[in-house]
Amino acid sequence: MKISRKWLQQLVDLSGVKDDDIASRLTMLGLEVESYENFAAKYEGFVVGAVLEVAKHPNADKLKLCQVDVGGETKSIVCGAPNVAAGQKVPVGLVGATVPHNQHDPEGKPFQLTMAKIRGVESEGMICSANELGLGDDRSGIMVFDDAAVQGTPLSDYLGLNDTVFEISLTPNRADCLSHLGVARELASAFSKKFIPRRVKITEDGPSITESAKVEVTAQDLCPRYSARLIRGVKVAPSPKWLKDALESVGIRSINNVVDATNFVMMELGQPLHAFDLKRITGHKLIVRRPKEDETKFTTLDGKERIISPDMVMICDKEKIVAIGGVMGGINSEISDNTTEVLVESANFTASSVRRTSKALGLSTEASYRFERGVDPNLTIRALDRVGEIIAETSGGKLAPGIIDIAAMKFLPKRVELHVDHVNRLLGTRLATGEIIRVLESIEIPCDKKSETVLFCSVPTFRGDIERDVDLIEEVGRVYGYEQIADSFQTRLNFDTRFRESTVLDELRDLLAGAGFHEIITNSLQPADIAGFHDPASVTLANPISEDMAAMRTTLLPGALQTISVNLAHGQKDVKLFEIGRVYRVMDDQQVVGRFRESARISMAISGTADPMSFDRKESKFDIFDLKTDIERLLAFLKLDSWDFISYDTTKEYEQSLKLFVNGMELGLAGRVGKAALQRMSVDQDVYFAELDLTSLLALRKSTNRYRSLPKFPFASIDLSFIVSDQTPAANLMDTLRAAAGDMFRDISVFDIYSGEGIPDGKKSIAFSMALGSEERTLNDGDIAGFIEKAEKELNQKFSAELRKQKS
Amino acid sequence: MEMLEEIQKLKDEATSALANLKSSEDAENFRLQYLSRKGAIAQLFEKLKDVPKENKPAVGKSLNELRSFVESEFESSKNNLGGKAVTSDGNIDLSIPGRKRYAGRKHPLTQTANEIKRIFTNIGFGIADGPEIEDDYHNFEALNFPPDHPARDMQDTFFVKSEEGKYVLRTHTSGVQIRVMENNKPPVRVIMPGRVYRNEAISARSYCLFHQVEGLYVDKNVSLAELKGTIAYFAKEFFNEEAKLRFRPSYFPFTEPSAEVDVNCFVCGGKGCKICKYSGWLEIMGCGMVDPNVFKAVKYDENEVSGYAFGMGIERLALLRYGIDDIRLFFENDLRFLNQF
Repeated sequence: MKISRKWLQQLVDLSGVKDDDIASRLTMLGLEVESYENFAAKYEGFVVGAVLEVAKHPNADKLKLCQVDVGGETKSIVCGAPNVAAGQKVPVGLVGATVPHNQHDPEGKPFQLTMAKIRGVESEGMICSANELGLGDDRSGIMVFDDAAVQGTPLSDYLGLNDTVFEISLTPNRADCLSHLGVARELASAFSKKFIPRRVKITEDGPSITESAKVEVTAQDLCPRYSARLIRGVKVAPSPKWLKDALESVGIRSINNVVDATNFVMMELGQPLHAFDLKRITGHKLIVRRPKEDETKFTTLDGKERIISPDMVMICDKEKIVAIGGVMGGINSEISDNTTEVLVESANFTASSVRRTSKALGLSTEASYRFERGVDPNLTIRALDRVGEIIAETSGGKLAPGIIDIAAMKFLPKRVELHVDHVNRLLGTRLATGEIIRVLESIEIPCDKKSETVLFCSVPTFRGDIERDVDLIEEVGRVYGYEQIADSFQTRLNFDTRFRESTVLDELRDLLAGAGFHEIITNSLQPADIAGFHDPASVTLANPISEDMAAMRTTLLPGALQTISVNLAHGQKDVKLFEIGRVYRVMDDQQVVGRFRESARISMAISGTADPMSFDRKESKFDIFDLKTDIERLLAFLKLDSWDFISYDTTKEYEQSLKLFVNGMELGLAGRVGKAALQRMSVDQDVYFAELDLTSLLALRKSTNRYRSLPKFPFASIDLSFIVSDQTPAANLMDTLRAAAGDMFRDISVFDIYSGEGIPDGKKSIAFSMALGSEERTLNDGDIAGFIEKAEKELNQKFSAELRKQKS
Repeated sequence: MEMLEEIQKLKDEATSALANLKSSEDAENFRLQYLSRKGAIAQLFEKLKDVPKENKPAVGKSLNELRSFVESEFESSKNNLGGKAVTSDGNIDLSIPGRKRYAGRKHPLTQTANEIKRIFTNIGFGIADGPEIEDDYHNFEALNFPPDHPARDMQDTFFVKSEEGKYVLRTHTSGVQIRVMENNKPPVRVIMPGRVYRNEAISARSYCLFHQVEGLYVDKNVSLAELKGTIAYFAKEFFNEEAKLRFRPSYFPFTEPSAEVDVNCFVCGGKGCKICKYSGWLEIMGCGMVDPNVFKAVKYDENEVSGYAFGMGIERLALLRYGIDDIRLFFENDLRFLNQF
């Protein structure tokens, strides 16, 4: 919201207060000043000039040499604008002035005018475009003023901008500050300044309002107060300069003297007003009611047809709707050039109702914005008097005697009890009763002492946000100043085991980072087709930003591929990535929230060269076994006893696909990502990807094993090599060997696989290295021979395996 | 005793020669010069026969000492040259850098979150967690956002398609506060990190999701002064000892009084720059005293306990801490970016 200093000064004496102090005090009172601009300073050195003569520049075809009267003095100025002509009144920047916006600079940085030679001819200033002055987008030519502009007038005076305008970002609770009056009230308190007493001057004339207009309120629950005034003999015309300037300074476009007066009063006092052309109100009677069943459409002032619903509040005449209460008037009763009798509405509408209506219509206006935050119900009459004064003054109209005022009740200050010790306990202060009273009274909240430590505070109706003692405590803290409250840091320690976070996730991150993986964090919103492709039970959004982010992810795969794609784009082909994140789905059963299940996953993606940039080793690409290495490392880290990888045929996501089973539960997938998925993300190299169910893995994890005494006897190491069908999985052979070794089993690994010369067709030679041991003694040759015999027999029975050689 | 002097002289020569060994070639030359069968030490042994009988034991002892000294010094100097290179293949370029291996990193957001967690767990905070898909009650209503209240506009909300009930992607981690208090009796002191979503256009300054750390402390007699002190401690730990804070009145439905916290701009030192938008201050979090309506919602006795809550954006803090100017970088995962942290 824009607040004008000039306007504030009509309301409160701010003499001697600097702009900067206003900005910082308002900010520290909770009215955050985002920026402010002092236009008088900004346009210092700019004046209105009269172009006397335009001649060709001697050395440049596109430039002109102008003689410009800048008020008693003629300057010679080079100008490149196509529209410059003798007789124009134009904005001129004199040497020393700072042009707010440089059209030729990509960032538009301001620059200072100096005496400059342009193509050999001296220029004593610059004629500016609206764009250069920061007054608009037009950069096609210079700005040309009205002929009435007087050369030599400072530009800020001519534009009515000899003012400082503050841009304030207001929190939704401070509806009272959506006006100059409200901000002035804060400043009066902050700087201990007095309001400027001002009486509205109105003269009433002619027959009473009640003889010409009537109002009936049937929906009083939606409209607790409706007041109106009538002005007769109005001549609708453009507003006088002061009115236009005032509105423009706060960013409101001038329309005509009647509409401008209503907007002015809204910006000044905070009361939204609406002006009706009384002659267009059938029966000269307004009825405030809900729409009838057959009333479903209404065309608002902006020319748009709106769909209305039965719980909205309408202002109607005998035949038709003329306005949507608190939101916008209708085109059928708006002020036109022919309007002579103006009925001004000054009403109070229920906040929640206006908000629902505004949301349903998708229409937010200055009026609805204020009503939905809460407007002082006791402001209606004051606003009517003020607007009557202005309309009478600017349109020659006469105020009809009297005001129509239909109120559901008397709106009285709220009485709130405040305990001094509660204030001090919550703020951590030691404020005396008198100090608290002083603070509250400075913002117009009178306090009666019920006792030395209990106050009765009368909260004025413009502070609808204050209802309880804590609200008053906030006011005390805010106005007293948070910075005045001394920091305290003596939190009592109580040791609480309820909220302990396991460190295992971070340990996993350390493990993977140590294994060369970069952690990535990716968007959990995805296109609905991708999320649905991986899991049809995906969660979709009702109001996505875009189709690309219309669903919650069902797998971490697209995020990983996207990351690989981003890195490939700048030549980074070798990657190891991991992500810990949630996936989301709809489940049939009840979950913590609705039917939504969120589970934690861990993903690993590897792509490119397994050993990048080695000077002496053969470069090899990552393959599925590199991926298995890291999965197994992770499973071992979690101290899981055993797991199985079951290989599957190509699935919709993977070629070379594996499923991970732990304790009979399927807890993950791994494989080479299929071509379709790669192409979708423009990845043109193999990617090996695994995604594991972290929630379940962590549940199965054994955090601390019991200590087992170290082996007392050395292990025997033996190598065994078998010839089997090349279709026999190594894992099956290993399981059999493990079983054959029984208690003696310690470790096994595959160290060679060979087929080709010396091995029959359709067969392979596979070699295992095993460690065997015993708790009781050192194994002897007999033990080993016994094992080999058993192993050979079982492998032969199960797989027709032939023992090829042994070594121990 | 010329012999003893000669021995000492040779020892000094050999020592300095050893210090100058640079290559395996040097080493071989040294061996030939001193330790070979016709080397300098062998020649001295030759001279032993001319030494007077009564001096022979002493000189012989010195000679033996010299030989073993030079031999062992030579061995260790040779090893320093690169071990086996000297003895066998002889010519390896040790200036070749080691083999490159993948070096991983934790994401800067993880690192920042860990730092925040460390600071708060050190002063007695626990850690709690909650769902990202949240019901209207926990995300808004229990936090004193009435239906049809303009405060709901403070956060642009994603709604989930659902037939039964109203669900949102949580707009803040504050809903976890409610869940923690619903399930635990006071006192509670927790931080609640997690992912939150805002339906805002994506730009350098905002993304459709980010991460927050919410804090909550409810106990007897918790005050605004205590909140200020705790946040001041956090800022000194997270930024630096000189961090100055400014508590500015603000508004959140679930706290009363409420404040925004600014830290003095460490880029310009408070003088005003582009980063702090020429204000000298950088906004780092919102906070306040838990509103009595929130206590009512979780059935805490508002007359018995009071509490404070705060919430900060992890991305925001990481942006400030590392001087990053585009929030999207966190979610692009460009390795050239990730490698910097």
